[in-house]
Amino acid sequence: QSYFLFLRFLVVLNFVSFLLIAAFVIIPSIVFRSVGSNLANSTGNEFSKLHFNMSWEFCHLDLHLYPPPIHSMGTAARVAVATGGSAVGNYSMIVFTGWDFGCLGDRATRLKQKNIHYRLQVDLEEESRNKRAAALTLCQKIVLYSLRIFMGFVAFGLIIGAFYGIFEATNFSQKMSEEQGILGLIIEYLPSIVITAGNFMVPLLCDQIALVERYSPSTTIIVALLRAVFLRLVSLGVILFTLWSQITCEGNTSSGDCELCQYSHRVYPCWETRVGQEMYKLTLFDFLINIAVLVLVEFPLMCLYCVFVCVRMLWLGRQEFVVPSNVLGLVYGQTVVWTGALFCPLLPLINTIKFFILFYSKKITLFNNCRPALKTFRSTTSTFFFLVVLLFGWGLATRSVSPCPHRIHPSMGCGPFRFFPTMWSIVPTSFYNLSKTTQEFLFFIGSQAFSIPLFALSCVVMCYFIALASVYGKSVALLRAQLKLVSCWH
Amino acid sequence: MGNKQTIFTAQQLDAYQISCHSILKLYIFLTFPRLFYRYRDLAPQLVPLDYTNHPDVKLPYELIGSMPELKDNPFRQRIAEVFSEDGEGNMTLDDFLDMFSVLSEMAPRDLKAYYAFKIYDFNNDDFICKSDLEKTLNKLTRNELTEDEVRMVCEKVIDEADLDNDGRLSLEDFQHMIVRAPDFLSTFHIRI
Repeated sequence: QSYFLFLRFLVVLNFVSFLLIAAFVIIPSIVFRSVGSNLANSTGNEFSKLHFNMSWEFCHLDLHLYPPPIHSMGTAARVAVATGGSAVGNYSMIVFTGWDFGCLGDRATRLKQKNIHYRLQVDLEEESRNKRAAALTLCQKIVLYSLRIFMGFVAFGLIIGAFYGIFEATNFSQKMSEEQGILGLIIEYLPSIVITAGNFMVPLLCDQIALVERYSPSTTIIVALLRAVFLRLVSLGVILFTLWSQITCEGNTSSGDCELCQYSHRVYPCWETRVGQEMYKLTLFDFLINIAVLVLVEFPLMCLYCVFVCVRMLWLGRQEFVVPSNVLGLVYGQTVVWTGALFCPLLPLINTIKFFILFYSKKITLFNNCRPALKTFRSTTSTFFFLVVLLFGWGLATRSVSPCPHRIHPSMGCGPFRFFPTMWSIVPTSFYNLSKTTQEFLFFIGSQAFSIPLFALSCVVMCYFIALASVYGKSVALLRAQLKLVSCWH
Repeated sequence: MGNKQTIFTAQQLDAYQISCHSILKLYIFLTFPRLFYRYRDLAPQLVPLDYTNHPDVKLPYELIGSMPELKDNPFRQRIAEVFSEDGEGNMTLDDFLDMFSVLSEMAPRDLKAYYAFKIYDFNNDDFICKSDLEKTLNKLTRNELTEDEVRMVCEKVIDEADLDNDGRLSLEDFQHMIVRAPDFLSTFHIRI
């Protein structure tokens, strides 16, 4: 359920960002294009100025869409802190308060019983694991730890190998971008294909590695998740890095191709468009793969299940809805969109539609095909975790995109920034176009007379909040201890 | 709270528990028509519409256990036994009303804890001992735990909840544990 709430939240975020971008960019540019051909140069100038101002706003809009998620993250963190901690009374809680007396229906009852069974089993297994781990001899411990370190390196090596594959694929696809027909299509989508293949294969291999590592179950899950997150988000970074190195001749703006315009103008006359295209291709391919998996894999299994009752006994069973990997897919898609939004204004809209369709198709799949996962993912800590991963993706997108306004020269052939040396220079330009009083006011805010007191004030406020947080933390711990005391005394 | 000597008989204690809770009287007053017709629907030929002569009508356990709210509950037999006068699950109208009022959302926590304790006490000796726990566990997991696992969980439960160290749970131990459970009120609830 937390998965669907998260998905709905992302849909709303995308839609709002699309509306803002549409209001500021697309409508003026459509108006400009339809009207501009008729107007003479005099009014053309004003329109272009307006257009540039709007472009500047849109350039910074996507970077500022994060405050609402931070607020909800704060709420989730608060809940996690208050309820988290000791598992005292775990078994008695499960036994005496675990059964929901209002549970109706045979199917729900069986499910609940399986759930309780699984929870008790997990707890018992964890206990026996701890006992066994404490009973290991020194020699066995050394062997185990060295095995774990070695396997960690192997997993890391696999991930690096995947990155190298993506790097080569992107280079190849950019070089051979002149091909036509089916082969051309495949070559164009080669990076996406490699990424999807990597995202599929590497977690499988990591699961096998995890069997050798023999961590406790909760640690295994966390490690697997971290590896998957690292793989997905950094592979996106790899694509961006390869594109950047090709566009700017690896940062050396005075070599060969890049000398004239400070970017590789012969290969990339309109590099923003190309980057936007790559992001768009990634989104589209991800969406197609999701739908394809749903239709081609899960529906046949469902049909098999219905038609052949004996299939129920086989190992195929029913698909389980694995929450973490699905959420990771969502975060990955969202990061792609954030990266591409600067270059491709329609991308948030496409993503809204994509998530919308995905929401309903996953819902249908969930209710018809899948049995609920027995391993229930705790919802408060999981919301917090999803938002943390989303924040990480946003940080990556910002980090990748923010050098662009400052350093890379906008392409001369197209785009709203074409007459400026960098995208950022539009800010000072439009700044000087504002009225005198506004300029003075903004200068004052930026000057030392204002910023140093502001900085000092924010330090004081921050110290206050830190103190408040520690006081609350202490009182929570104190109350918990009191509760324990009161119940033990009597 | 120190140790109090209770000098009521078991029956008096039961009657005291429910009748002194005015909020439950209010609940019964508000929902009486609905509850009465549900009771009557179980066996229209046995239950008269006219109760002015206090007819002695008892519905057998099989009818009570076939109600949709109780049909799939693994503890339905114990619930019926606890609330019935004769202890066999055959319920009069009063028993029926008491049962659904204690299981409603209006019943206070202490009362629910008292009756939950009685439900889990399979041998009616006012203590939840190891065999009671084993039976509870088997009903909770549909007999799917192995014997070792059942034994281990029972030991753990008694370790955690037994405060007077007599190897079994008394009502006080149970109530202290329930105090720490935030969702007891919502799980020990049947909506009718």
